[in-house]
Amino acid sequence: MQPFDYYKPKDFEEAFHLMNMPGKTVYPYAGGTDFIPMSRDGFWKCDAVVDVKALPGLREIKETPDGLFVGAAIRMNEIANSDLVKSHWDVLAQGAGSVGSEQIRNRATLGGNLCTASPCADTPPALYVLNATVIIRNAQGERKVAIADFFKWVRQTAVQNGDIVVGVVIPRPAAGAFGSYVKLSRRKGSDLSLVSVAALTFPNGKAANWRLALGAVAPTPIRTPAAEAILEESSDEAHIELAAKSAADTSKPISDVRASETYRKLMVANMTKRAVRMTLSRREKGG
Amino acid sequence: MLHEITFTVNDEPVTLAVKSHHTLLRVLREQLGLTGTKIGCENGECGACTILMDGEPVNGCMVLAVEADGHKIETVENLNKSGELHPLQKAFVEKNAIQCGFCTPGMLMMAKGYLARNPHPAEDEVRQAIVGNLCRCTGYIRIVDAILDAAKEVA
Repeated sequence: MQPFDYYKPKDFEEAFHLMNMPGKTVYPYAGGTDFIPMSRDGFWKCDAVVDVKALPGLREIKETPDGLFVGAAIRMNEIANSDLVKSHWDVLAQGAGSVGSEQIRNRATLGGNLCTASPCADTPPALYVLNATVIIRNAQGERKVAIADFFKWVRQTAVQNGDIVVGVVIPRPAAGAFGSYVKLSRRKGSDLSLVSVAALTFPNGKAANWRLALGAVAPTPIRTPAAEAILEESSDEAHIELAAKSAADTSKPISDVRASETYRKLMVANMTKRAVRMTLSRREKGG
Repeated sequence: MLHEITFTVNDEPVTLAVKSHHTLLRVLREQLGLTGTKIGCENGECGACTILMDGEPVNGCMVLAVEADGHKIETVENLNKSGELHPLQKAFVEKNAIQCGFCTPGMLMMAKGYLARNPHPAEDEVRQAIVGNLCRCTGYIRIVDAILDAAKEVA
């Protein structure tokens, strides 16, 4: 691995001073599970890393008046095993629990999963259906970016040089909300998603609202408004079939070493059905 | 850049100077001589370098050594420190859960960390727990048997 310097500031002032060292390329550093292999293979080159794990708030999970706050340096297993997350934001716990292996989930962080911005990342689809907001800070101040505006393209986000992602805020879904995250990969564990679907439903008067988000089948995660509208008419089997077809039409997958475009489109339909049925069965059982 | 770090390795306090860009795996093997932890893919895929950090299984290749400052690290060398094999090691021997042996230290540490949190696992839970540990001899059946056997002993 190419040499780089390492700093672990305890406050933001010091962090931004380090992030803005003149003439130096400085990366924020959290779990290391993307940084270390990318850096070792020479894809990412920097003069220094700023470890964000000691910054105030970045290791917190708490409920706030605006919803659930999850700090950027919270690890995947900490989300997956958190009773607070599971209480109202379970679809996020499901997404986090499906990342990589146990060993990776014990290091990889939410901030890293967002900032690496791999199209097949497992937490973003859940954050899309939960309408999360990303909190970003830099030397000038703090700003909030809706999750749908955060991802720009493959590995490109709203994060600029000198920014540090502090965490996400996720509104508490309406009472009676249920969600599911479904992931298809070549093998059961420790593999990247070929197709993933997050589904969330919550009561709206006598009707039900639906949100669906797809991962790994477009440059960024995408919502599927047409499919959602179909399910809001009815979630009977005929409508589930139609919604699944609509979701597949909305997706724009690529062909690569893991699967072809045609296969991925077919699987968007199948995984959408699976996610919707799973959500309905959770709603029936009440959990 | 050099950092002086103080951490616990196999219950012993250690202070040493490490480079910013060196992984914990490299420092354990090259600076502390603990070569039981194996170098496999160095990409977080194979689990041959699995160690416990504050009791949780992590890949030694995915942690910078400097990050270990103040933490508790356990490697495979700790399992038979008393001179006697750990119940997991005994079960691996009894079940013949070892072929080439390269994945074994990682499997043992993964299993130790896992059983500490889930002492009575079902077979499919054990299989799920070791998805991040590859055995290229593909001897998974005996490894899973050994972990299930050891669970009875450890619990």
